[in-house]
Amino acid sequence: MRWATRAHCHVDRAACAWLIRRFIDQEAQFVFVDDPDEIPDDANPFDIGDVELSHHKGECSFEAFLRRYELADPVLWDIAQIVHEADLADERFDAPEAPGLDVLLRGLSMTHADEDLLALASPLFDGLYEYGKRAILLGREPS
Amino acid sequence: MVTESKPPRAQWLLLAYRIPREPSTPRIAAWRKLRRLGAAQLLDGLVTLPLDSRNREQFEWLAGEILEANGEATLWVGELASRARERELTARMAAAVASEYEAVIAEAERVRGQPPGSGRRSLARLRRELRRIRARDYFPPPDRERAQQAIDALAEAVEEVTR
Repeated sequence: MRWATRAHCHVDRAACAWLIRRFIDQEAQFVFVDDPDEIPDDANPFDIGDVELSHHKGECSFEAFLRRYELADPVLWDIAQIVHEADLADERFDAPEAPGLDVLLRGLSMTHADEDLLALASPLFDGLYEYGKRAILLGREPS
Repeated sequence: MVTESKPPRAQWLLLAYRIPREPSTPRIAAWRKLRRLGAAQLLDGLVTLPLDSRNREQFEWLAGEILEANGEATLWVGELASRARERELTARMAAAVASEYEAVIAEAERVRGQPPGSGRRSLARLRRELRRIRARDYFPPPDRERAQQAIDALAEAVEEVTR
């Protein structure tokens, strides 16, 4: 399936793209547009304009995906807190990882085009997921 | 001879909005977001931020949330016709963060004057506060550097106690 999102990806869109490819649509292809009017008819839009998979009621798009696809995995909800704080910094959650993740992705967005950025961010989120999974299984910080 | 070059005209984001008085939750959420972003209030229902991709995205989300709350919101991009007015606006925004830096400096000095032991937690809190202010500091005043120095001095004092 084709998925359309706003160009110049940052943490929320990078996290959503990772989530799509890993949990929703392994064959996902991404289209980057500057304006909601440019979203192709056959593409599923996210993190852009007034669509379901976007910001709502103070939540970021990653959270919208977890709700829409009923992904109840607690590790994903832990990652959602980090993404939320990295994107919105409204201190709804305590996520000390967020400022670091924000800077890492902001930096990558300066040196790489969107498609490359998503490819580079993907193993980062794989690692975050693995870390979160082990933390839950162990009941303590994994090493 | 040196040719006098004018600084490039800044581009601004303007958000014109109206939020229903009740319920108050979306109003308060919008107000908090504007404050966190360091937006300058130009008129009742008109706020501005320097144009960059982050601010643009944040204002777009805010506009969307205002519409969801049955309000009205339009986002504009523009520049000020008068350079003098632009200087006034940037000075006003710099003064707003400067007073926040001043509060950090005063608090850092107060904690430094207190008996040793209580400083570490205050240091962590002040560092977080400084980071929040820096995120909305678009026209850094000299107080920015002074606030960093005040925090560094406090950090040194805390380290000495621990040693």
